[in-house]
Amino acid sequence: MEKEIKRIITVLAGICILFVSLVVYLTYFQIFKADKVKNSSYNKRLWINEEKILRGSIIDRNGKILAYSELNGETYARVYNYGNLYSHIIGYSYRDYGKSNLELYYNNVLLNTSESAALNELKNLVEPNSEGNTLKLTIDHHLQEYSRNQMKGKKGAIVAMNPSTGEIYAMVSLPDFNPSTLREDWGNIVEDENSPLLNRAISGLYQPGSTFKVVTAISALENNMYMEDYECTGTAVVDGYPLKDYDGKGHGTVNLNEALIYSCNPYFAETGIKLGIDRLSETAEKFLLNREIPFDLPVKKSLFPKKGNIGKTDVAAASIGQGKVLVTPLNMALIASGIANKGDIMKPVLVKEVISKDGKVIDSFKAEVISRATDIFTANELKNMMVDVVNKGTGKNARISNIRVAGKTGTAENPSGNDHAWFIGFAPADDPKIAIAVILEEEGSTGGQKAAPIARNIMLEALNTINN
Amino acid sequence: MLNRGVNYKIPRNLLFLFESIALFLMFMYYRNALDRSTIIYGLSLIFIIYISNLILSKIVSGDNYIFLIVTMLASIGIIMIYRINYEQGFKQIIWISLGIVLFFATYFIVKRIKGWEKLFLYYCLASVFLFLATLLLGRRFKGAINWISIGGISFQPTEIIKILAILMIASYYTNYDRFKEKKWGRYYLIGIMYLFVFFLFLQRDLGSVLIFCSLFLALQYIYDENRKLVLANIVVLMFSGLLGYVIFPHVRIRFETWINPWEYIDTIGYQITQSLFAISEGGFFGTGLGLGHPDFIPEVSKDFIFSAICEEMGILTGIGVIMLFMILVYRGFKISINQRNKFFRIVALGISILFGIQSFIIFGGVINMIPLTGITIPFVSYGGSSMLSSFIALGILQVASEELDIEED
Repeated sequence: MEKEIKRIITVLAGICILFVSLVVYLTYFQIFKADKVKNSSYNKRLWINEEKILRGSIIDRNGKILAYSELNGETYARVYNYGNLYSHIIGYSYRDYGKSNLELYYNNVLLNTSESAALNELKNLVEPNSEGNTLKLTIDHHLQEYSRNQMKGKKGAIVAMNPSTGEIYAMVSLPDFNPSTLREDWGNIVEDENSPLLNRAISGLYQPGSTFKVVTAISALENNMYMEDYECTGTAVVDGYPLKDYDGKGHGTVNLNEALIYSCNPYFAETGIKLGIDRLSETAEKFLLNREIPFDLPVKKSLFPKKGNIGKTDVAAASIGQGKVLVTPLNMALIASGIANKGDIMKPVLVKEVISKDGKVIDSFKAEVISRATDIFTANELKNMMVDVVNKGTGKNARISNIRVAGKTGTAENPSGNDHAWFIGFAPADDPKIAIAVILEEEGSTGGQKAAPIARNIMLEALNTINN
Repeated sequence: MLNRGVNYKIPRNLLFLFESIALFLMFMYYRNALDRSTIIYGLSLIFIIYISNLILSKIVSGDNYIFLIVTMLASIGIIMIYRINYEQGFKQIIWISLGIVLFFATYFIVKRIKGWEKLFLYYCLASVFLFLATLLLGRRFKGAINWISIGGISFQPTEIIKILAILMIASYYTNYDRFKEKKWGRYYLIGIMYLFVFFLFLQRDLGSVLIFCSLFLALQYIYDENRKLVLANIVVLMFSGLLGYVIFPHVRIRFETWINPWEYIDTIGYQITQSLFAISEGGFFGTGLGLGHPDFIPEVSKDFIFSAICEEMGILTGIGVIMLFMILVYRGFKISINQRNKFFRIVALGISILFGIQSFIIFGGVINMIPLTGITIPFVSYGGSSMLSSFIALGILQVASEELDIEED
């Protein structure tokens, strides 16, 4: 009898363990796995729920409606008012093709649902929602349209922003696509070798060319290692490899300011070698290379050769923005912004406000410094040099009458094709309202000739039309 | 007056409150298609359950929690089934009512008639007869032949055989000393059980194979004096399981869908993945009754009722259902330990193990913790055979919870 009861209790314990393991597994599943399972595209509920909710609209900084949803039979469908213009910012939202860009990354906000199922349910009990939130962007519709037109359909990217708040006014990437006709165009879009789905402004990596010299210059100023009178012969020989100027002619005796004005390659290559890779990369990383840039859309990390054992030629190439340096256009706009904003780089922002269905602002962005890239004196010194670049040097095409413009041109040698044309800058130099980066991919011409005029027009248009 | 009349500390009143709220939600969900009969059916169900619990507490001297737990489970089940498909809901109300009647009938019959422990041979023959009938007359349903249809009424003989098998095992071990004296007496039961498992395998009813094996193993572990036989049995069963996996593709497929259901999402993994969607969509609190989409799961009111409960009432309710089964099993074991009549002691154990294992296998299956085998949750799933046989088993358990005469030796 004693033995029997012992065995009975053993069996009972076994069954209880089975039941408890059910509870544990179910809880584990709900906490760690459910979210992933739920968001599988095979889950039919996903679409039933979504299409019943009036997805929030997306508007520009002045309230112009860029995308909205309208009732189509029993469910809602998305309408994109401006075709290609916002393909790389707003993206698309389709049942069969999924979502991209803000439609993807702000999905929960647009639907006014939360990531946590439990919270959603509690909220549903209190207020069964059928309407999502509106996104107000920092984008200025007029400037966005103007900027895209300035590109005249060429491959490349533009980022125009407010240097003291981080607000992006315009972000263009070409080629783009039309979200309204995505279904019909899908086959062509995915096969197009120019990758229209790629947002070049934040995911394209390019050699920055001479625009990067502003970073080398800052490193030289901070470390007090710039040369007062350097004899430029048009070529510098590093480890047996000649580094030539763009036109191959010498600039004579130059100091740092003049070297920047004429974009003197030998000067910056020598300076870079003097600084060494450690000091250079320290400054580059303060300007967000090799670092994650927080943004409303995912940004590719810009690359700078890591500290340590790299050859002199690589250091020389890096200090003039060639070789192993790769940057996103957004990163270059942030470098210009940092110099404009007394050395502080602000967090770039695309979504200005989240507005609930009853018109209340439930979330708004806060200006935030993400990197103290340099001190105010160095920034000021660089600014003056960049003003000279536009007034006397390679950036003459960016000049605006009565407004002091700071800028730097770049013509990046592209190992796989024609040169890229770059321009970064800001205006007005003494109280910067707009900072910009323009790249024309494989343009085969100089930044000063092709990119600078585009940047000039956009900066002027922004100063004339945007009032905060 | 009111304070004296309604005391919510009495469990049956709590159950009443729960049912009333759930039914109200149900009516709200069907508010546009509501007719008088629906309301009458719903209210009469609450009434029947309340009265049954009340009567039970007056007339029985044994455990009056097991019936309470079961009516709670049945209530959750009926509300869910009703919400999914209200024709099935009507039928289920009838099955539950019939089940309760059968429960009381079983209770009185089993209590009045003596000598249940002497019928070993009859239990055995009846089971074999039912197995043979299934194989000869059975219809194939979802890959398994376990339904037979007589005169328009179809039922699952396996449900009845489960109870017969428990009675058989109990009478065998009650009379173990007598069987021992015969030449092969020690091996009678094990031989018969292997025959049963073989029959079930022919029917391709893997869920029942699992139930019978675990039931038999557990009781053999407790009562068989020949410990080597117990060990040998475990080894043989494990080996057969392995062999079954290697030889039979339908066994292998279950394992493969269990390991990675997403790979087979369009075909054999469809049900289980739909079930996982439902459970994850429900979260801890559920979508709310009528606000989820459990109807996306095929066969949801039978095998997958637990997933539907998790989706609309949340996994907290799901855990509640699991806990109710755990308490039911615990009460059953307690009944067994307190019972001095050996036959009913074993019967109580058998029935508790049956409820426990059967619910574990299907809970574990639909949440993909173990391979999925299609069986019903006792008292919760839609279906007459399962409901009625479970109530019969409960009736026997109710008898076992009372003080009974010790069998004369």
